[in-house]
Amino acid sequence: MEIKIRRSSTIYIIDVSGDMDMYNAYKVKNLVNKMIEKNIQNFIINMEGVNYIDSSGIGALIYVHSELKKRNMKFRIANIRGTVKKVIELTKLMGYFKITDTVENAIKQIKAEL
Amino acid sequence: MSEIKEILVDENSKLFDKTGMFYKKFPSDFRQIRYFTLLVVQKAPPEIKEINLLEQQISELIKNAIKHGNKNNPNKFVHVWFSFSEEHAHLIIEDEGEGFKRIEEWNEFNRKRLECFQNQNFEEMEKYISFVTEDSDEYDSGNALFAAVEYWNGGVVFNNKRNCVAVLKRFPKKRHGLEIKSA
Repeated sequence: MEIKIRRSSTIYIIDVSGDMDMYNAYKVKNLVNKMIEKNIQNFIINMEGVNYIDSSGIGALIYVHSELKKRNMKFRIANIRGTVKKVIELTKLMGYFKITDTVENAIKQIKAEL
Repeated sequence: MSEIKEILVDENSKLFDKTGMFYKKFPSDFRQIRYFTLLVVQKAPPEIKEINLLEQQISELIKNAIKHGNKNNPNKFVHVWFSFSEEHAHLIIEDEGEGFKRIEEWNEFNRKRLECFQNQNFEEMEKYISFVTEDSDEYDSGNALFAAVEYWNGGVVFNNKRNCVAVLKRFPKKRHGLEIKSA
């Protein structure tokens, strides 16, 4: 799994690619924790490059969602597709997560809330 | 409103019939779970719809057996019986642990979770987002079985000791050839 960070004004976009599974999903949690410490407020996780997710990957997304919600920070998950989308659907988390089809739409939604 | 699916406990379920199934035995090595899964899934016909999803679901069951069943004890093994066709995936996965004792509690938890989902009450659903026990650690997400009961549409059944789970997935039948309608 590879993680890259980019920025659009005050919104930080975390581009994840590869397999988000039991061996590396914790890296997303750790990264978001570090970003919270640096007082970053607005997050998008871009899942465009993720082809495989398991329950640990889902757990990492739940953790991020819940930590950011507690702190009233803004968060969107963008670009879920294929098997990743299917696993989120099976776990009944569509609607629980705030999901957008593109990063651009995620940025628009977060900006509208600021 | 959709049907609420449950984990069953029924040692006499026909899903425990191992006739004609392949068998593999794996050590409790957490690092190799995905590799073990591939050794099983390679027997599945590539025509199976969403084979990556099948792989993911099998991997969760092997992970549960190694981590929660055998507690990663290298002296304990996971036994996997499996059979695949274009129309089905059937697995029986047995660990050498004490068994999943909290099935009734899990079913009740899942029922409440699904009620929240069906009512789109995501605030209330927050309480039921992950099934976490004293056995869980920070790497546990507590959500694998929620997907499992949805995915394995032919059932998720445990034996009486609850250390062996049988699952069945039925894939839609493929139609071959042309359909000729009579006038």
